Amino acid sequence: MRRLSGRGRSALIIGVQGIRARKLRTLLSMVSLFLGVLAVVVVQAGASIAEKAMFADIELQQGVEGSKIIYMGAEPKTTAIVNDVIQGRDDAVAMIGMQAIIGEAGVRPVNEGGAPIGENWGGGPGPEAGGDPSGQAVEVRLSALTGDVRAFRPFRPRDGRWLDWSTTPSLAPKLVLNEAAAKAFQQYHVPAQMRLNGGQQTVTPQFVGVVDDASSTPTAYARLDEVNRWLAPAAGPQNGPSGDLQVLLTASTPATQVLQKRLKAAGTEAYVETVRSRAEMAKELRLIRLVFLAMAGLVLLIGVAGILNVGLASVGERVEEFALRRAVGTPRLLLAGIVLTETLLTGLFTAAAAIGASAGALRLVSMFLGDREPFLADVQFPWDAGVAGIIAGLIAGILGGAVPALRAAGIPIATVMRA
Amino acid sequence: MTALIELTGIVKTLKGQKQPRTILDGVEMRVDPGESVAIVGRSGSGKSTLLSVLGIFDRPDAGTYLLHGQDISRIPERKAAKLRSAEFGFVFQRFFLLKHLTAAQNVAMALVNGQGWLPRRERKRRVMAALDQVGIAQLAKSKPTKLSGGEQQRVAIARALVREPKVLLADEPTGALDLETGTLVIEALLSATERGCGLVLVTHDRDHAARMGRTLDLHDGVLTERVPA
Ligand SMILES: Nc1ncnc2c1ncn2[C@@H]1O[C@H](COP(=O)(O)OP(=O)(O)OP(=O)(O)O)[C@@H](O)[C@H]1O
Ligand SMILES: [Mg+2]
Repeated sequence: MRRLSGRGRSALIIGVQGIRARKLRTLLSMVSLFLGVLAVVVVQAGASIAEKAMFADIELQQGVEGSKIIYMGAEPKTTAIVNDVIQGRDDAVAMIGMQAIIGEAGVRPVNEGGAPIGENWGGGPGPEAGGDPSGQAVEVRLSALTGDVRAFRPFRPRDGRWLDWSTTPSLAPKLVLNEAAAKAFQQYHVPAQMRLNGGQQTVTPQFVGVVDDASSTPTAYARLDEVNRWLAPAAGPQNGPSGDLQVLLTASTPATQVLQKRLKAAGTEAYVETVRSRAEMAKELRLIRLVFLAMAGLVLLIGVAGILNVGLASVGERVEEFALRRAVGTPRLLLAGIVLTETLLTGLFTAAAAIGASAGALRLVSMFLGDREPFLADVQFPWDAGVAGIIAGLIAGILGGAVPALRAAGIPIATVMRA
Repeated sequence: MTALIELTGIVKTLKGQKQPRTILDGVEMRVDPGESVAIVGRSGSGKSTLLSVLGIFDRPDAGTYLLHGQDISRIPERKAAKLRSAEFGFVFQRFFLLKHLTAAQNVAMALVNGQGWLPRRERKRRVMAALDQVGIAQLAKSKPTKLSGGEQQRVAIARALVREPKVLLADEPTGALDLETGTLVIEALLSATERGCGLVLVTHDRDHAARMGRTLDLHDGVLTERVPA
């Protein structure tokens, strides 16, 4: 161990002396290698940043990886079964989606169809379009929940509070808006009146909070029991909420099977979908990353050829030095180690330069484009890109240094007597 | 007393471009501690080849080489490197100083060779002692390009002495120097024999040969003692 460390230190001392004696050569090696290492760092950084940006929202949109989702129409029959099965469970939540218009009665909402504010999905509310006059109302997607959905979709709180299921249902449904809906209501001051699913019944909602759910569709979340009162107060269960129904279940809950069985018995085929979006996306990203890394690797090879070229020339020049070192007792292995140390250090310096350059560039990009692309706003240089750069530098150092190192180790000592 | 070096029947054949040539053909030689030996012979007679066998740069094709009574005729390269570091000091006609290093760093090169690690302070002490021994301690920080030939050769001798070797092997160390400077160099080499180091000097210079304890003549691959006239 001691001897090893002595050898390592000797190689380092001699290698650094060698680099300092040939600064220009080292610089030229670095220049030839720089693009290759830079390519590796940039590909790795780009892939990591993209992956992070995509993964950041995917759980909010699709659900936590591994959880199960059952989609079906929200007919009164199925709704009743679902209610019955998941009642009192905290490992399953049902969501009923419907359209709601909030604002003045009898007018066309500013975003007919529930489009994001500022975008226009349909023909657009123009004076020539028939129907109600356009006015102060906003159409949102209303998601009525049987329980806390955040176990499946970890919405980020932005303002106010989240829904609370422990209180008795209120007659004025409490709404939590997503950011798109909050923006709409900030832009259009509308009366707090709500009509559900095209009905005429008017409800007075209370806005209690805002969350980020990574959706651009204006959406409001509410307790199903509070919404239900306004959907089927008199007509009985067959007049329950209509719209689409999805049940979110944890990976291991027995409720999935029970629910499937009971729905089947009632004549409804329920398909269980498992959330695998993260794994699938990761697979695709891995492939893309590999393709780009392979291209970067080719550029890196050109750099390796540069190091190899400079390394061979330098060993050729130093034949006498190496012969002399062998004469004073330096083992051949250490001579090879010295040459490798020099190319490895060159590779490391290049990696440092490439990492520094890309981190700096990323900072500039984030500074200038941060307000246009939110995911660039406070993006950090990913550590795995740094690691990839260092590995690329080291591999280039080893590949470019191996042949010169073998040459150096093979120089006969007698050279010093014939010179 | 065990001889420092004892060669018996050393044969060395070099495979040249055309036919193999036997350069050393049964060399017998003995060097005792503190003894100085000159080797003379015409150019091409194989003096350097003999030194490369002595310094374990190369192994003999036949014969035995005893160092401190131990047979090292066929030791592997790894052990040879260790012995070169611990037992031998080398001085060549050309000085082989590294231009980019100072005199002190050039001397330290023999200490930073992967054969045992010395702390910086200890390295420095030994380097200065060796430079002092050859009388150029004041030039420790100079680069070789700023030194005269004699000074450079003395740096090389300090490099050979810094590990306090048991044998000094010198191949025409004065060949590139004028007479006066050459004499200084020979004196520096001889001073090492005072503490028991053996010295083998290959030289063309009769005066320098005469200052050694014995003179051996290499001729037709065999060493013969030259009796002083
Ligand atoms: N690598 C080699 N392969 C073949 N022959 C060689 C090799 N090296 C040297 N020789 C030959 O071996 C002979 C002895 O060479 P050597 O260098 O030992 O002579 P020398 O006595 O030191 O000569 P000089 O006084 O000129 O230095 C020479 O004839 C030389 O041509
Ligand atoms: Mg010679």
